[in-house]
Amino acid sequence: MTDYFAGIDIGSTMTKVAIMKEGMISSVIGPTGAEQRRLAHRVMERGLEEANLSFSSITYLVATGYGRLNVPFADKQVTEISCHAKGVAFLFPEVKTVIDIGGQDSKAINIEGGRPVDFVMNDKCAAGSGRFLEIIADRLGITLEEMAELSLKSNHPIKIGNLCTVFAEQEVVGKLAEGAPLTDLIAGIHEALASRVATMAKKLKLADDVVITGGGAKNRGLVKALSDALGHRLLVPSEPLLTGAVGAALLGRDIAQKARRNGRPLERKERSLRKVEVF
Amino acid sequence: MAEEQKSEKREKRRTATKAAAMIGPMVKEFIGATHRAKQEGKKLAYTFICCFYEEIIRAMDIVPVWTENFAGICGAKRDAERFLARAESLDFSRSLCTYALCGIGFDQWREELGEMPPDPPWGGQPRPDFMLSSGQILCDPRNKWYQAVQQFMPAVPIYHLDMPWPLYEDDIEVSEVEDYYIKYIVSELRGLIKFLERQTQRKMDYDRLSELVDLSERTWNLIWETYELRRAVPTPMGTGDAMNTMVPLVFMMATQEGYHFFVELNEELKEKIARKEGVIEDEKYRLIWGGGLPSWFALKDFNYFNSKGAVFPVETTYRLIEPMYRLNIPETNDPLERLAYRWFRYWTYWYDKAKKRPGSEPDVERLIQYIEDYKIDGMVMHEAFSCRTWHLGLIWQLNQLKKIYKPIPVLVLGPNGKKREEKRELPSLILESDIVDISSYSEVDTRNQIDAFIETLESVKKQGV
Repeated sequence: MTDYFAGIDIGSTMTKVAIMKEGMISSVIGPTGAEQRRLAHRVMERGLEEANLSFSSITYLVATGYGRLNVPFADKQVTEISCHAKGVAFLFPEVKTVIDIGGQDSKAINIEGGRPVDFVMNDKCAAGSGRFLEIIADRLGITLEEMAELSLKSNHPIKIGNLCTVFAEQEVVGKLAEGAPLTDLIAGIHEALASRVATMAKKLKLADDVVITGGGAKNRGLVKALSDALGHRLLVPSEPLLTGAVGAALLGRDIAQKARRNGRPLERKERSLRKVEVF
Repeated sequence: MAEEQKSEKREKRRTATKAAAMIGPMVKEFIGATHRAKQEGKKLAYTFICCFYEEIIRAMDIVPVWTENFAGICGAKRDAERFLARAESLDFSRSLCTYALCGIGFDQWREELGEMPPDPPWGGQPRPDFMLSSGQILCDPRNKWYQAVQQFMPAVPIYHLDMPWPLYEDDIEVSEVEDYYIKYIVSELRGLIKFLERQTQRKMDYDRLSELVDLSERTWNLIWETYELRRAVPTPMGTGDAMNTMVPLVFMMATQEGYHFFVELNEELKEKIARKEGVIEDEKYRLIWGGGLPSWFALKDFNYFNSKGAVFPVETTYRLIEPMYRLNIPETNDPLERLAYRWFRYWTYWYDKAKKRPGSEPDVERLIQYIEDYKIDGMVMHEAFSCRTWHLGLIWQLNQLKKIYKPIPVLVLGPNGKKREEKRELPSLILESDIVDISSYSEVDTRNQIDAFIETLESVKKQGV
């Protein structure tokens, strides 16, 4: 019988599913929200459809991310710190540091042998997460994608002085009213976020090459600003949202292989692919 | 919101020791005793913990009202919000010390009503006859808190003591300035006695004071010996319990009851060690609480650590004692000099050790000593946003520690594909919240961080030599 392993990463903004055999055979990214989070099983169903697999054919399923608790269809819950470490080590075996900029938090993780050995996390302040960019994009009436491209056209980023998202939002509006070019303003916003993330990440001993994941990694303007702030080269996975789900699936594979190696039955939960009821 | 939180039935926190479980009723009793003392006409004094003049207060039969304790109780009962909000409405910033804000809000309300605010936690905090404030280097609330509440009770006098110690510099020899400090502190304590004699119309009994200084010194030795029992594997008592047993340590010093509490705790820990009975059955990770006051409303997080196989055999917070042999106090018949020496030598005890290790400093040395003595696998610190005094410099201490001290041997893959041994720094976790203000706390986020930290400890252990 062929083994398939699945990982589901339920973040604050997006739910990600990866189904793997030796390599990845399907992946799906869907939105997360108050209602969608309860419907995370739908994203899993789409992943299974894409892989042409039934739910029962999944040997082991690991849930991770902010919404991992109480997922009724997972065999095990593992934090996103361990899953990102595993996923990034799979994609970039030489890399020792990963920075993840998510919708609600940001974190930096040092990795050895696919495992986290140290981490720092900001989950207190929106100004250090993707939420900062969402709020500013919303205020400016442009998309996140437009924001990324516009910032790359700037040669003179404008300094955003406020450390708080709410006040920074007001500052942006004020500077726009003063006639500041949008490109320079957005580049300044990226620099402000990059500076906060870099300050957090520098608490760790950073390796030469750093991988960046999460929604923040899809913003080329932010990646450039963060690379400048850190003074390190940043590597971006082809799909930076998926590393946590990939890591979760791989951790599931490790658990299954270890059980077999030790001649023990694989301990699995009684799982059912249904709506998540409690958060 | 606060009312909702109050009425919410919460599962009781588990303690590992019977002694720690006795603390709730004990605190309730000594707060009740302040109300009875008030009715009996005894003199009540607002005062702060770790003031080093408990012996003087007790010798003069003055009843201490520990204002930080009452604020902590409000926090632990999740009933601080209404007092914090009241202080905020009086134009005190929410970013000030939330112990002080809680006390200021409570006192203003009590003075406005002329009686206790409705449904006061454990009967509330009684009106004092006088207030004894003593700064502790950087702690501005210990200087300003009582001045702030004096505007609501202007007839209640304040006596302020200055109790300094020299801050650490690696090229300064503290023994050269010790005499000046001792003389100065003794004069401050004499000033306090004069003030108390005027307030009580009684003379200090210096023989009794000497007996109480003896008792405190014996209590310090006993606490140190008792806490050192926690080195045992599995550890019989964790920091969660120590956040209870700090009560007799800081609020009952110089009392027979306080001493007796630690006699019983000592016996209990020895019995648990003999039975090999730990805080948890399967002790996987031994952690140090490396600094920061706890979130009094979230002490159950210690139980959560326990549920993940982690225990805290040691903490720096509230371990405000050293054995007397380490302090080596000179022979003197003056109890005030003994208090002054104990103060000075306690706060400067780790200075000499720090000088011997480049890049170190006294608090870092203390951490290193505990990490080694208690076989520690990881460190947890708590940054409480509203307390600058105890939290300023914690992150810096952690960074210094990581630079100069790498105790964990691990195997890592070298560039030639072969494994080689390296030394790694201790994994650490910094929790962020507050001591009293529950609005700063998220249980989901905190526990997510704890989960990630436990996974990190597991990874490091797997790589261990």
